[in-house]
Amino acid sequence: MAATTETKGWIGARLLRKEDARHLLGASTFTGDVRVPGLKDVAFVRSQFAHGLLNSVVKPDGLETSVFSAADFPDLKSIDGGPELPSFRTAPYHAFAREKVHFVGQIIAACLAPTRGAAEDIADQVYADIEPRPAVVDMVEALEPGAEILHEGFPDNAFIHATVSEGDIAAIAARAEVEMRRSFRMNRQATVSLEGRGVLAYWDHRLDELVVYLSTQGAHMMRIGLSLALGLPEHKLHVIAPDVGGGFGGKNRLMPEEVAVCAIALKTGQPVRWIEDRREHLIASVHCREHHYDLTLYAEKSGRILGLKGEVHIDAGAYSLWPSGPFMEASMAARNLPGPYQMQALHVETHTVATNKAPMGPYRGVARPGACYAIERAVDELAHKLGMEPADVRRINLVTPDQMPYRTIGGLRLDNGDYPRALDMVRDMVDLPAIRRRQAEGETDGRRIGVGFAVYTEQSGHGAAEWMKRKSRIVPGYESCTARVLPDGSMLLLVGIQNHGQGLETSLAQIAAHELTLDPAFISVRYGDTALTPFGFGTFASRSTVFSGGAVAKATRLVAEKARRIGAHLMQTEYEETRLEDGAVHGPSGKVPLAEIARAANVRQEFLPAGMSPLLEATATYEPEESGGFFSYGAHAVVVAVDPETGVTSLLDYAIAEDCGTMINPLIVDGQIIGGVAQGIGTALYEEIPYDPDGQPLATTFGDYMVPCAPELPKLRIAHLITPAHGTEYGVKGMGEGGAIAPPAAISNAVCDALHGLGVIIRETPLTPRRVSDAVAEAEERRAAVSLKEEVPA
Amino acid sequence: MNAICLTLNGEELREQVEPREILADVLRDRLRLTGTHLGCEHGACGACTVTIDGVPARSCIVLAVMCDGKTVETIEGTRTDDIMNVIRRHFHEQHALQCGFCTPGMLMAARDIIARHQQPDEATVRRELSGQVCRCTGYMGIVAAIQSAAAELHPAAASAVCANS
Repeated sequence: MAATTETKGWIGARLLRKEDARHLLGASTFTGDVRVPGLKDVAFVRSQFAHGLLNSVVKPDGLETSVFSAADFPDLKSIDGGPELPSFRTAPYHAFAREKVHFVGQIIAACLAPTRGAAEDIADQVYADIEPRPAVVDMVEALEPGAEILHEGFPDNAFIHATVSEGDIAAIAARAEVEMRRSFRMNRQATVSLEGRGVLAYWDHRLDELVVYLSTQGAHMMRIGLSLALGLPEHKLHVIAPDVGGGFGGKNRLMPEEVAVCAIALKTGQPVRWIEDRREHLIASVHCREHHYDLTLYAEKSGRILGLKGEVHIDAGAYSLWPSGPFMEASMAARNLPGPYQMQALHVETHTVATNKAPMGPYRGVARPGACYAIERAVDELAHKLGMEPADVRRINLVTPDQMPYRTIGGLRLDNGDYPRALDMVRDMVDLPAIRRRQAEGETDGRRIGVGFAVYTEQSGHGAAEWMKRKSRIVPGYESCTARVLPDGSMLLLVGIQNHGQGLETSLAQIAAHELTLDPAFISVRYGDTALTPFGFGTFASRSTVFSGGAVAKATRLVAEKARRIGAHLMQTEYEETRLEDGAVHGPSGKVPLAEIARAANVRQEFLPAGMSPLLEATATYEPEESGGFFSYGAHAVVVAVDPETGVTSLLDYAIAEDCGTMINPLIVDGQIIGGVAQGIGTALYEEIPYDPDGQPLATTFGDYMVPCAPELPKLRIAHLITPAHGTEYGVKGMGEGGAIAPPAAISNAVCDALHGLGVIIRETPLTPRRVSDAVAEAEERRAAVSLKEEVPA
Repeated sequence: MNAICLTLNGEELREQVEPREILADVLRDRLRLTGTHLGCEHGACGACTVTIDGVPARSCIVLAVMCDGKTVETIEGTRTDDIMNVIRRHFHEQHALQCGFCTPGMLMAARDIIARHQQPDEATVRRELSGQVCRCTGYMGIVAAIQSAAAELHPAAASAVCANS
């Protein structure tokens, strides 16, 4: 069918975005912009202790009916998530704390008033009697004997211990010429969508349903979770995700605030909303990243890597968020540790650890920024140990095009592409020899120049088989689309996916336009409403273009086929003699515009072939046959200048060579890359939520949680390789996360390269000025100690 | 309650406000001008940028009572502003927005930058944008849009630069 469809060049067109206009006018509708008569605001009372026994919640006199706590909702179900594995331990996560609190920011009570300010006034008067317990704040120490145990029935503080093992690591260890052990740490972050979370709920008496406006990445998914928590059947829950101001993973989990607001709306019969403020976002929204790696690399003196052994700790925070919990983080980290490199053995012990911090969830890249950082830093340290150029060590070990498809020792099937070429491209783009010469000459301003590389893979479009392997309790193995041609020939695409900045209103319209030879201006994409669209899982895991794009392609092809049958009938010719072109069905002796066909199908059935049912619409679901995923990949090279005195790192040049297969809209692809890299730069240099020993979060405003702004970011240079995927529509691969994966690795390598001559060791992100200047000072002290020893005669 | 009188988007407005009420809340909740977005509510992200007497300000840290006698303009007031419409077109063409949440504040800042810098270079635009957070775009499209809009709006300055180079 596709082969007979004339293309008007919509696949691959840099079409400007259809969704821009409303945002540019300030006329968009985010959850916080929705107004309902009689709306009341919620302010939450949150735990100020990281760990403690909640003895009682005392409501202020006379305001009892405006304050809600666990005792008011005895029937509310806990919303714990995680894989369906017997070895995974669950601890019930209630919307309102019962008996214990497990992190600063956990919800104790909710206060209701006509304005947020008035609700906060009430919250100030609520007293929570909490008996503090020692806080567990370090994921490695949390597993040591004698550590305070967070959850009843847990033998230690791990949600799960698991091992990923392939090949004979003992044999590799026995014959390796080089053995190198290193520890790396990536610190905790928040996801920081600029629009925080938000939820508004009210009972619609006409429809006899709870209407829930929710800033989410997947309205259908959240309806399932809300139904479970509230005990309300799904047909009584109508979830609407209006404009959503970024998600990045942080809006892909069911959160207690959302359950609480719905429960209060049901209990009081009043419209209720909660709009997250930035402090709440930083202390109590989805947290992410925090990994610790203890790795031993086995290699030959030639630089060839043989195997990898190690231990990975994931700081999962206090609870496991619905639906998936933190489990995937550890398995993905372990399985992605070998990266794009050939190895013969892998043995990784993983520990997903409960601590007294906000629960962990997904964030752009999920686990891979940590794994990429660990392996790529290890490769650089191996190169330094062997006296080799780090880029050369990568070149020796990269999987080559003739090996594709290549199954990594982590069990991931890299489907196609030319990884060495991507590395060569960025090496040329930053002119590596010129940087080495500049380093040799030195800088006049005292700064030191460094260059760093990282190569990454990005699993995308993985379907049922992969999610079943992960024992996910929800298996997001498909997406859906209803393609509906209206009587005048214009079109609606109703999709189960969510769009929150990815440009899907444009790129999905391009796919439909391609299949039906329509102008995208006549195609509207609708999403984010459980009453409007067929079921879908939402936007995450770099899946939207593969799955939802595939569903749009399938549905619109069904529509095209029916249109051609009607057109053939109207022209008194055979179906096989027709083709679609310029928005019309063409036959040997004429053409019929799609509008005319749509009119016949919808309102003039007498023009349809005998026995054909009316309407010109189709619903389709799509999953690629190969459901292990399609791997986008790329190489990043970055040049930095580091001031050893102040520890400030400046990015002088940043080059990217990436391959995501066929691009539907290169403008949007580049936008995703640039935005992802900006977030990766945040992970590398700025963003961190430290906790003190009592479990108090120390970054609670944009004054102490640093997100990258325009002056810090360089102009990125992007080169595309295009290796179409075999087995997806048009050869697309997902690419939304890739930009965020490599920067922590590449930038850390560059900073360490810059300071290598000073003996500086930094194996932790972010590389804040303080952390870098402290490391420089420590290196100076070590050198001083060594030289003192040398001065003393033996 | 305090009575205030201000000019909002070209029209005179009289309101009774509590002393503690923030300008952004009055705009959004009372006047339903929801194009002004709140990203941090502590004056750091710039999403709530409006102009007060022509100067950009963070409406999340301005008390409404402070606006008595002032002229306030929000994104809604710029819909027929020829200059802003040129800037909008360049934002659209340069893919300077993704989720759109920072966009109104970004536009208010952009118009001010272009008013003060006829032909800003990249470093100038980036420095001037230091108080505006965008989490989606990595700023490249925004910087490009402001530069290209400035070139269109100040053609004389653009040709002078070309002549000098």
